[in-house]
Parts: sequence; structure tokens; C-alpha cells
Amino acid sequence: MSWDVVWRSRAIFWEATWISVQLFVISLVLATALGLILALMRMSRHRALRWFSAAYVWIFRGLPALVILFFAFFWLGNSLGWSPFQSAILGLAASSGAYKAEIIRAGLLAVDPGQYEASEALGFSRAHYMRRIVIPQGIRVMIPNYVSNSTLLFKSTSLAAVIGLTELTGRSRQLANSTFQPIEILTAAGVIYLVVTSLMTLSQGWFERRFAVKV
Amino acid sequence: MDFAYIADILPDILEGLGTTVSLFLWSMVISTVLGLVLALLRLSPLAPLRWFAGFYAWLVRGVPLLLIMFYVFFAFPELGRSLLFSPFWAAVVSLSLWTASYQAEAIRSGILAVDLGQFEAAEVLGMSRAHAMRRIVLPQSVRIIVPPFMGNAINTMKQTSLATVITVPEMALLTTRIISRDFKALEPLLALALIYLALTTLLVFAQQGLERAFRLKV
Repeated sequence: MSWDVVWRSRAIFWEATWISVQLFVISLVLATALGLILALMRMSRHRALRWFSAAYVWIFRGLPALVILFFAFFWLGNSLGWSPFQSAILGLAASSGAYKAEIIRAGLLAVDPGQYEASEALGFSRAHYMRRIVIPQGIRVMIPNYVSNSTLLFKSTSLAAVIGLTELTGRSRQLANSTFQPIEILTAAGVIYLVVTSLMTLSQGWFERRFAVKV
Repeated sequence: MDFAYIADILPDILEGLGTTVSLFLWSMVISTVLGLVLALLRLSPLAPLRWFAGFYAWLVRGVPLLLIMFYVFFAFPELGRSLLFSPFWAAVVSLSLWTASYQAEAIRSGILAVDLGQFEAAEVLGMSRAHAMRRIVLPQSVRIIVPPFMGNAINTMKQTSLATVITVPEMALLTTRIISRDFKALEPLLALALIYLALTTLLVFAQQGLERAFRLKV
């Protein structure tokens, strides 16, 4: 085994990791927005909105993320002339959004609804009540699940390799083939994933302090 | 949408159903045994065994399953000729190693949930240790284990689709072949999605059945 192939390929690893990080950040933002919308729809007074949200979550959590990515790439992306990168983001966000919706809903439901009456008595509007009372308390409940689900999303960016993107996993596989050194190359890729996912797990404590009750 | 076309290609996709289900069943059997071993290591009084189990969980959960598949398929044979697997078995090994890290946690929580003082109580009542295990401890553990265990099983069912990347002819791979053969994407993908939804929904029903079977009867 000779590990200098990893050092010689550092520029490639850096470039591929950067693509993975971009996929992750953009799809995380979109998935969070989608999850919030779906969670609010699920708690809506209108039955049609509740049903739509429940059906979305059931379908997108019941399907492999890879199949959702295939829809985004082979069907939607292809008909709209999107790049594989755009299709991958759409697929990842559509899939992850269903999980985020459940996490956000659980957080919002954890807030004691008696506070609504209390805030109404104080003259808060419903929107004001959501923004200042429910969301700050709900976020605290969501953090552990939100962070571990986001770690999952970072690992899922590797699925983009299947539709031909040269992010960390896809590029490493090519490199393993061309250098004939799969052990060294794939181990290096694994170490990069472990560093990022471990940092994300550690960030949970920081988020929990950031949103802690200040008394 | 062309329903006649869907009816035409459905048998082609279902040809991979057997492979998908075998991938799932083999991975469930192996990962349950491995998960039980890891759970017991995690609870061991010997610190190095506990560390090993913790390290395993950190390692396997910290990298994508896709990378584990590439590792098992491309790098394992370089480590030793006996580790050269066919695509199918490389996928089973990857799915098992990955699922076991989650099943270990499910099984551990079930073991921890039972108060071991109940063994003494059963002894006082004249029950043998095996009898107490079967009638007192296991039913309580199983009740705790079923929901996370089945949740992991559903994830594993969905992740069998990743075996596509190492050319295992399961349903997702056969579907991509149909897409490139016929230049139609929506219909084959809808058919594939319906089959996966049926499989995961079936597992949800199985979970509810198990939960009912082991419910407290008072």
C-alpha cells in the first residue's frame, strides 16, 4: 500500500468535497423551507392542506431517496433541460423535506397549546404568537433530530454519484479505478466523510446552547 | 400517460423483485445477528469491547452506504482474496454491516429497558432462569425493540436500491435499463415507485401487527 497517491490527489479530493458541500447546503436550505411549509400545512384548519401534506410525507418517506433522485433526473430534469447538479438538488430536497416536515411538526406540537390562550389574552395575533412563542420553544425540541437528519442528508449527497455527478463518492470511485489503488482512495474519502459528519454531530451542542432558555 | 405501456414493462421490473427481496432478507438475518453481538459488546463490563462497539457505530454511521458498497466491492478484494464477493453478496455484506450499526442500538435499548431485579423476583416464585427469560424478560424487551427495529428494516428495504451502483440486477437497475432502452422515464419510474411503496407499506403493516401481538394485555 502506498498512501502518497492520496496526497498527490489532494486537489481532486478538495474539488469533489466542495461539490458535496454545495449539494448539501443548497438542498438543506430548500428541504428546511419545504419541511416548514409541509408542517404548517399539516396543522392547518383546511382539510385539503392537511391531506396534501400527509400524502406527500407518506409517499416521499416510503420511496428510496434514489428513486426520487431518478424522478428528478430522468424525468423532470430531463424535460426541463436541467443539469445533473440541479436535478440532484431537487431530488435531495424533495426527499429530505418529508423527513424535516415530521421533525418540525413534532417540535411545534411539543409547545403547550394553552399558551395560545395566554398570548391571545395579551393581545398577540396568531402570526405573532407563532413567531415569538411557538417557534423559539419548538426549535429547542427539534435540534437533536434536525442535526442527525442533516448528517443523513450530507451522506445522501453521495447518491448524486449515481446520476453522474463527480462529488466525493463518485469522483473517488473514478479515481480508485484509474489509480488501481481503491483501498487508499476510498479510505481517504471515508475519512473526509467522517470528519464532516463528526463535526456536524459536535455542532449539536453549540446549537443547543445557542437556543437555550436565557434566564 | 400510457397505461398500456406500464402494463407492458411491469413484468420486466418485477423480474428484479426477487433480487430486491433476497437482498433485504439476507441483510436482515445477518444484521440482526451482528447487531445483537454489537449490542452485547456495548454492554460488556470490558472497556475495550465497549470501545470497539462504539467505534464501529461511529465509523459505519459516519460514511455514506454508497461508499461502503464501493469499499466492499472494490477495496475488500485487495485486502485479501477471500474477500472477493460477487456483486450480490458485496451488496448483502454492505447492507448488513450498515444495518447492524442501527439494529445494535435498537436491541441495546430493549435490553436496558428490563429491570434485571425481575430475575430474582421470578426465582422467588419458583421459575427457572430460562422460563423467566421466555415469559418475563423477552416479552418486555421485544415490545421496546419492535418499533426501532422495524423502522431500520424499512430503511434497509429502501437502501437495497443502492445495489444498482455495483450492477446487482434488482428493480432500480432494471428500471434504468428500461429508461435507456425506451427513452421514456415517467412510466417506468411510476411503476417502480408503486412497487417500493407497496413493499414499505407492507412492512409498516407488519410492524403494527407485531406491536399488537406483543401489546400489554391487562
